[in-house]
Amino acid sequence: MTPSFPHRQSAHCESGVCANLLTHHGLSLSEAMTFGIGSGLFFAYFPFVRINHLPLTTFRSAPGRILRQVAKRLGVGVTFRTFRDAGKGMAELDRLLAEGVPVGAQTGVYWLPYFPPALRFHFNAHNLVVYGKEGDSYRISDPVIAEPVLCGAVDLERARFARGPLAPNGKLFFLTNVPKRIDPVPAIREAIREVCRLMTRIPIPLIGVRGMRYLAGRMESWPSRLGERKALLHLGNVIRMQEEVGTGGGGFRFIYAAFLQEAAAVLDEHGLLDFSKRMTTIGDHWRDFAVAGARLCKGRPQGNDDFPALARIVRECADAEHGFFRELDSLVRSRG
Amino acid sequence: MLSALERELVDMIVETCRCAESPPADPSPDAPLIGPESPFGLDSLDAVEIVVAVQRKYHTRIDSQETSRKVLRSLRTLAEFIQNHRK
Repeated sequence: MTPSFPHRQSAHCESGVCANLLTHHGLSLSEAMTFGIGSGLFFAYFPFVRINHLPLTTFRSAPGRILRQVAKRLGVGVTFRTFRDAGKGMAELDRLLAEGVPVGAQTGVYWLPYFPPALRFHFNAHNLVVYGKEGDSYRISDPVIAEPVLCGAVDLERARFARGPLAPNGKLFFLTNVPKRIDPVPAIREAIREVCRLMTRIPIPLIGVRGMRYLAGRMESWPSRLGERKALLHLGNVIRMQEEVGTGGGGFRFIYAAFLQEAAAVLDEHGLLDFSKRMTTIGDHWRDFAVAGARLCKGRPQGNDDFPALARIVRECADAEHGFFRELDSLVRSRG
Repeated sequence: MLSALERELVDMIVETCRCAESPPADPSPDAPLIGPESPFGLDSLDAVEIVVAVQRKYHTRIDSQETSRKVLRSLRTLAEFIQNHRK
């Protein structure tokens, strides 16, 4: 008999996996609510951290953090395991599946054979759920794929033990002690306040709105420092981090806007609806940046499409987010 | 055979992405829109421009609820999305 699992396609793998695992255990949460309670929204630019030889730009919190924060805030137990030995890692997966436990796994996208060629790239922090085994294949709920899929054992092992940056080391995770009921109100308030703090009050110039302004400054100097070809590679990488890699577009801002809309209803706080609309507008402006940048990268610039103009848009996004998170923090604090 | 909307989308894509080579006269509506098998030769950066062009022309937003990954699978999925969401 094929085990059941509530597969839902999502924009972002970690929040999608987290939402689907919670739903399996009886706590039905949307992807957006999971992303919000996990304080998934973030920004950082680390020029000294290289992934595929390009500086790390991230519009979301570190891999694994959403799941940990959601578990902590909702009082859910979560167990993580990593393995040095691939054989032991696969045996442990089989043991958990035999007990009927759906298991989250960190994998390298490039090695998953069911991924369309256009979406395959070397990214080792892709999350999925393994919820059954049929012969020598595993039944997988991959949140960025429309339907559950089967994946051969050899392929899954290769994906779980992919090498390179963010190597998964066979990481498995599963939920334990899931409460029958939760009170999302304190979790939502705490999560919003954490994002406001990270975006505006971390005294490190690479993080939050300060990081955006730092990126803008670096971006202006890329053509003279790196030459045009490398400058365009760096720009293309920022755009891909913003509009691909499970962002749902707008650098995760649209997912956060959906979270604020849901939170308005849960908290009975209609002021959050305005913040949701503002966050969508901010996401649109990030998208303006991506479109102008994409035109530049593809060699078809229009009007003012150049690096100074792109840096200006990033600074405008930083200014908008600075005001946004300060006001959001005030609203949430004023309501206790 | 393309529908009228799918044909309109072909024109919009060619214009937006200034496809260097003309696409086939009658591309399959189910061919992948983005990636190595795309008859238009589009990549993920082109996808960003298409998402915004669709938003401006048809007033339909492709965001986290309807991810571009899902909508931009083919001409058919893009046309269906516009038909279902056009305001």
